[in-house]
Amino acid sequence: MIYFDKVSKIYSPTAIALEDVSFTVSPNEFISIVGQSGAGKSTLLKLLLAEDRPSSGKVFFESQDVNILSRKELPFLRRRIGAVFQDYRLLPARTAYENVAFALEAAGKSDDEIDHDVPQSLELVGLMDKAWNFPHELSGGERQRVAIARAIVVRPDVVVADEPTGNLDPLNKWEIIQLLEKINGLGTTVILATHDKEVIDSLQRRVVTLDKGRLVRDELRGKYVL
Amino acid sequence: MLKSGVINFFRNGLVSLATVLVMSLSLLMLASVFMGSVFLSTFIQDLQAKVDVSVYFKKSVNENAILDLKSKLLALKEVKDVQYVSRDEALRRFLERHKGEDIIARSIEIIDENPFSASLEIGANDTSKYDIITSFLEQASYKDFIDIDERGNQKITYRQNQAVIDRLTAMLGATRAAGFGAAGILALIAIIIAYNTVRLAIYNSRDEISVMQLVGASSWFIRGPFLIEGFIHGIIATIFTIVIMYPSLWWAGSKTEAIFGGLNIFDYFISNILQISLIMIFALGLALGVFSAQLAIRKYLRV
Repeated sequence: MIYFDKVSKIYSPTAIALEDVSFTVSPNEFISIVGQSGAGKSTLLKLLLAEDRPSSGKVFFESQDVNILSRKELPFLRRRIGAVFQDYRLLPARTAYENVAFALEAAGKSDDEIDHDVPQSLELVGLMDKAWNFPHELSGGERQRVAIARAIVVRPDVVVADEPTGNLDPLNKWEIIQLLEKINGLGTTVILATHDKEVIDSLQRRVVTLDKGRLVRDELRGKYVL
Repeated sequence: MLKSGVINFFRNGLVSLATVLVMSLSLLMLASVFMGSVFLSTFIQDLQAKVDVSVYFKKSVNENAILDLKSKLLALKEVKDVQYVSRDEALRRFLERHKGEDIIARSIEIIDENPFSASLEIGANDTSKYDIITSFLEQASYKDFIDIDERGNQKITYRQNQAVIDRLTAMLGATRAAGFGAAGILALIAIIIAYNTVRLAIYNSRDEISVMQLVGASSWFIRGPFLIEGFIHGIIATIFTIVIMYPSLWWAGSKTEAIFGGLNIFDYFISNILQISLIMIFALGLALGVFSAQLAIRKYLRV
């Protein structure tokens, strides 16, 4: 479903973010990408979202090379990939409900669909009671749940989460991880980038380990080993 | 999209207000510059139309000779029109002008003779041509016709007023040139300031724009609300400008009427360039709002 083919990203000879990385992600997989800060996890996800281009190699989403998509085609790729970040990236001037609805508006859905899907999505992350709060009125864990609701409301094929628990306390952290597992259980592929050892060890899922831009380990029931 | 543009406008209240004010200022500047130059041009034309040459004839010259000269003058391509004022007509005009002043009427009666000379009032196509016309009249063949003042100069008013007319023409020309120069620079500054204000407002939203791109919003979906916001800024700035301009023009009109010899800026504005100005301000306002937004957002739409 997703295929990284000998991907390198070289900013300068001394700043090599990724080097010759190849791996495949199958449908409905829950895959964790681990490594220390600067190992290239975020770069990898950026390349998948076509926010950046690889220096060499290709990134395929299904049979599509994402880096040859035109500016007009890009939004369609991004609607199939839900993204969650450490810093939430919510629109501060919009309520939780509006933030979630926004992804549907952007995808050109009708008002009826929006009225139906947004509450469903907020329900799934357990935030229906805070739907009309603005992001600054929510806790970190709640904000991240809004971000997840926004990522899944468009029913994407994949959810990519870049350090989603990085800013959260343990309790909220586990809630977010459980949520991601739940989403995966509903049939969505999840790609989780993290350097949290506890999270990886408890998940017991496939782990791809990056070190200084190189893929050093790819295990089906992996642990955090560095 | 329309809705979110309107919502954005109100949620960014302070920024919107600042943008509208700066844009109004720019519009006000552009409008004053435009109307100022139109008005000044009209004023100069008006003044030039008032300038003419009058040539006064000796009382001994008979009417036919004068009419003959008139038709010769009309044959000159520099001459626009010539009006013959007979001695009787000159007297009538004089009495008309001093109606109710008994002393003057009585003095005329006492003289018991019409003291006025017949004259030709000559209008030229262009103020610079008066010199040619005057030279034509100064030819030797007309020397005997034309009246002479106490100092022995021929009574041709252009020669008498020449210095004043020349200076006035030069002054107005210079004023107009300087005015246009200054206006151009001011207009440019106004546009740059307005553009920068809009850019700043959009810069505030750069994170928002990146989020929109991330959730798969098309560039038109992102751009739309900003353009609509720009449109709203433009409209409000336009209305604001007109609301301010109207009474200030009225005030300026009443204050400067005397200076411009009875030409009232406000009346002139209302009767001549009202529509044009309104359309222009409106178009400028919208263009300023929408184009600034379009130009400013382009930078953030690069993925």
